[in-house]
Amino acid sequence: MGSLLGDWPSFDPHNFSQLRPSDPSNPSKLTPATYHPTHNRTVPPPNQVISTEATNILLRQFYQRAEEKLRPKRAASENLTPDHGFKQPRGSFPDETSN
Amino acid sequence: MSIWNYVVTAHKPTNVTHSCVGNFTSPQELNLIIAKCTRIEIHLLTPLGLQPMLDVPIYGRIATLELFRPHGEVQDFLFIATERYKFCVLQWDTESSELITRAMGDVSDRIGRPTDNGQIGIIDPDCRLIGLHLYDGLFKVIPFDNKGQLKEAFNIRLEELQVLDIKFLYGCSKPTIVVLYQDNKDARHVKTYEVALKDKDFVEGPWSQNNLDNGAGLLIPVPMPLGGVIIIGEETIVYCSASVFKAIPTKPSITRAYGRVDADGSRYLLSDHAGLLHLLVITHERERVTGLKIELLGETSIASTISYLDNAFVYVGSSYGDSQLIKLNLQPDAKGSYVEVLERYVNLGPIVDFCVVDLERQGQGQVVTCSGAYKDGSLRIVRNGIGINEQASVELQGIKGMWSLRSSTDDPYDTFLVVSFISETRILAMNTDDELEETEIEGFYSQAQTLFCHDAVHNQLVQITANSVRLVSSTSRELLHEWTAPSGFSVNVATANATQVLLATGGGHLVYLEIGDGTLTQVKYTQLEYEISCLDINPIGENPNHSQLAAVGMWTDISVRIYSLPGLDLVTKEHLGGEIIPRSVLLCAFEGVSYLLCALGDGHLFNFLLNLNTGELTDRKKVSLGTQPITLRTFSSKSTTHVFAASDRPTVIYSSNKKLLYSNVNLKEVSHMCPFNSAAFPDSLAIAKEGELTIGTIDDIQKLHIRSIPLGEHARRICHQEQTRTFGICSMKYSQSSSEESEMHFVRLLDDQTFEFISMYPLDTYECGCSILSCSFADDSNVYYCVGTAYVIPDENEPSKGRILVFIVEDGKLQLIAEKETKGAVYSLNSFNGKLLAAINQKIQLYKWMLRDDGSRELQSECGHHGHILALFVQSRGDFIVVGDLMKSISLLIYKHEEGAIEERARDYNANWMSTVEILDDDIYLGAENNFNLFTVRKNSEGTTDEERGRLEVVGEFHLGEFINRFRHGSLVMRLPDSDVGQIPTVIFGTVNGVIGVIASLPHEQYVFLEKLQSNLVKVIKGVGGLSHEQWRSFYNEKRTADAKNFLDGDLIESFLDLTRGRMDEISKSMGVSVEELCKRVEELTRLH
Repeated sequence: MGSLLGDWPSFDPHNFSQLRPSDPSNPSKLTPATYHPTHNRTVPPPNQVISTEATNILLRQFYQRAEEKLRPKRAASENLTPDHGFKQPRGSFPDETSN
Repeated sequence: MSIWNYVVTAHKPTNVTHSCVGNFTSPQELNLIIAKCTRIEIHLLTPLGLQPMLDVPIYGRIATLELFRPHGEVQDFLFIATERYKFCVLQWDTESSELITRAMGDVSDRIGRPTDNGQIGIIDPDCRLIGLHLYDGLFKVIPFDNKGQLKEAFNIRLEELQVLDIKFLYGCSKPTIVVLYQDNKDARHVKTYEVALKDKDFVEGPWSQNNLDNGAGLLIPVPMPLGGVIIIGEETIVYCSASVFKAIPTKPSITRAYGRVDADGSRYLLSDHAGLLHLLVITHERERVTGLKIELLGETSIASTISYLDNAFVYVGSSYGDSQLIKLNLQPDAKGSYVEVLERYVNLGPIVDFCVVDLERQGQGQVVTCSGAYKDGSLRIVRNGIGINEQASVELQGIKGMWSLRSSTDDPYDTFLVVSFISETRILAMNTDDELEETEIEGFYSQAQTLFCHDAVHNQLVQITANSVRLVSSTSRELLHEWTAPSGFSVNVATANATQVLLATGGGHLVYLEIGDGTLTQVKYTQLEYEISCLDINPIGENPNHSQLAAVGMWTDISVRIYSLPGLDLVTKEHLGGEIIPRSVLLCAFEGVSYLLCALGDGHLFNFLLNLNTGELTDRKKVSLGTQPITLRTFSSKSTTHVFAASDRPTVIYSSNKKLLYSNVNLKEVSHMCPFNSAAFPDSLAIAKEGELTIGTIDDIQKLHIRSIPLGEHARRICHQEQTRTFGICSMKYSQSSSEESEMHFVRLLDDQTFEFISMYPLDTYECGCSILSCSFADDSNVYYCVGTAYVIPDENEPSKGRILVFIVEDGKLQLIAEKETKGAVYSLNSFNGKLLAAINQKIQLYKWMLRDDGSRELQSECGHHGHILALFVQSRGDFIVVGDLMKSISLLIYKHEEGAIEERARDYNANWMSTVEILDDDIYLGAENNFNLFTVRKNSEGTTDEERGRLEVVGEFHLGEFINRFRHGSLVMRLPDSDVGQIPTVIFGTVNGVIGVIASLPHEQYVFLEKLQSNLVKVIKGVGGLSHEQWRSFYNEKRTADAKNFLDGDLIESFLDLTRGRMDEISKSMGVSVEELCKRVEELTRLH
């Protein structure tokens, strides 16, 4: 069993190195201060107040299909240039402000 | 009581629901973050252990808590989602040490069925999106853009309706979730989906696995390079990926929590429902999984969350017992366990029931809770205030002052206790048998009252009487030098330290002396314009024997002043206002902050921040401690200095997180106190009270004291019987034999002092205790325990049979006197007009206590009332009966004596699912329900129509965010009839998260004042994560949301005292009330709990 148990990960070998085991029948009594923010940054940046898109799933799929149908009719060059020229990570959209 | 109620937490939630570890407060610091339902706690990992940093209230019940590291960031962010569909992303700003909100939002949908198995919130390991499963059949996506900003959320249809768990897989080029679900034939499967962010849809994932263990309930995603997922079942553990499938059988167990040990995901800690901790190991070769191994490590509390910290230390968070810090040892101990418990963190949750008793018969309420569950069940005795543990006491009338003295300057212990009376001074000392006996210090003058005594440098002692100051050798005990008051003048007040003496005679004369080796030198004299009422020169500067400042309290202009020493130059004068003279002043320092305390003759206390260099007094605050004059003294406990305020309501003043706190001492009246640290009674106090001198040690300096009585079984109901000094409990014990699990139920009797089991009555198979009551009946002087039970047969939806058992305690044994079979579960028992009122399934039933011909007794049914779904909670007052129903809110019944019948008088027509009820007064009833709301209803006796009179009007509503299991009338603090707070009636409640709270009914004027303060505070104290206080406290259930009314949030109001002076001023200005007045009124409220 030794091989399974040893070699516990260590991020900072000092952590817990001076821990004095307290009497386990005497619970730990350290209490942290209670946080009461009075600053203004509890409000997120205006574009980071997130809500769910209003369109329901059915309508969204409906529009998406409609769009797909339209797509081949567009000039091929329009579509291809951005795809190859400015490749972006997947899932990146132009910044939209929600709401 | 009234409809204007103030709700405040006396004991914060301790149920740990979530935990995570990461670099939150700085890139170099490792933090443990734990969620306790409505609060998060941030801890720092240090060489000394876990260091608590911050306790953060969240305006919501935390549903998910995750740390994540967005691209390009050096620190982790914290994602929190609440049960009321709000979420926020928090970042720690290292510079300002503040939590700032990076993003927040509302993720609720107008239509949707909330998930049965709780909310799921997960973050893609590559930080492409946050996934939420909040409603059946929907998966919500909050995408990140490439700068780590969140974008508008959208829903994806999820075909699986009964989802048990969802996790993101590691190492997938497209974000991929694995879903554990149950089909409509109750079989369980996993399936994977890729999230196509652009199309806002799922694409069938790389693999799936059908027909898993029927108890599969937990997914553990495995990081790269292995990838895949571990599926934890009740009898098997499976590793699954696109190419590998490995399974091992396990002993039947329900795994509640896991914690990853290694970053590569090759080892995990698993905790099951019995608190057994296992290590699960993935064996692998060349990045390919070859098998699974599981090893038992040992036993902990039943974990709800496990976080591996560092260097073999692990945090075990628990909902059912105390949370723990454990160490994983390489070698097993004698019992074969690899687990060593190093710290324990108290958890009172779930509080299933509690009672309020005065065990020490001091007028001081104590709460005894049924806490914890399963094997971690316990009783907890929760007491407010600081206790004195009496070591010795003598009768001594008329004590006017006390001081302890050492026999030499270097002696660590005190030897003498100088006790002063109106016309004499007596000296007590410890003799060789460690007894206090009277002795003499020859150089002291004993035929007069001593005004002050102190140890002085060079093995000397100082005694000050009306006529003189005497300097005495502490070794030879002989007089060395004496300063005599000028003829015609007598010393009224005096003080001293090791090198200085300051005294005042009539006519405002102030004299300053210095103590040398065998000499007293008058250094300075001045005359003030008025009489001096009190003095202090306690050294709090750099020199522990010498003070640069003197504090002086004055008659006539009612001021407190700071003079410099030795010059006696006036530095600061502060008028206190009013007509009550200051009776005691004290210079003191707490946590490195210097204060001037000044106590008045009417029990009020001022405190000021004192600038030691300039003598300036700032941040004036006033609190009311009692009604009689206060004497202030410092003392040390566990090498920290505190102040004892002796008065009719003795109080210890101490400091925590640089804030002054006031804690009651559990003694009725103390006239004088002095520390007395003798070899026989180390760290003790000498206390003069009510004609008695007591030597005792003091409890730890904290507000609430909690004692734990582990039971090893789950106590579910408790009540106290004063006459027999016992507790009766209904409890349940799980026993796990190798093949089968069984539960047994008991009625147990405990001694109310030792808390030992003294008697036990086993209930039948399937029978469990539902209610317990101590009562007596008409025409019978005996006191009984009545126990209501139910037979919980596995195939029955509702119990159809139960019993009422009547026990008497004889010779410390439970004797069954009578039993009565019932047609259902006896959910509640009440003593009612000398009879027994029972709630049995949908019926309220009244029983008479009848004497049979043979002299034995029996319960005989008298009358009843139908018409409830399940009458779960019943309270009565006079002839009125208030019923809390499973789903039909509160109804009011009345017992009609003439007709011998119970009839419904009124009801609340809302569909509230009740968790408990209480009667506040004749007309107002308090209810708590299962959506964590509190509400009050009022009987409408003046209604003009029957319809109006038959309706209970909802008068108060409030979202507490806690599930209350029990209300009880009573108080945690000693009630003094002549104090303001003593007049406020209170109800105590206990919750699933281990909260003990107080609901106090306020006079209307005070309510209006505090409501205004609360609305001002909301503008100053912001909700963490941008969450709104108003929304949080609004009454909320599936059907309706309504603003809170007629309840005040005491936790918010009392946080006023934590504000900086500037913020207090801001509120003071907009309220038009002085900060001093605001502090005083809020401080008074803190003394309710």
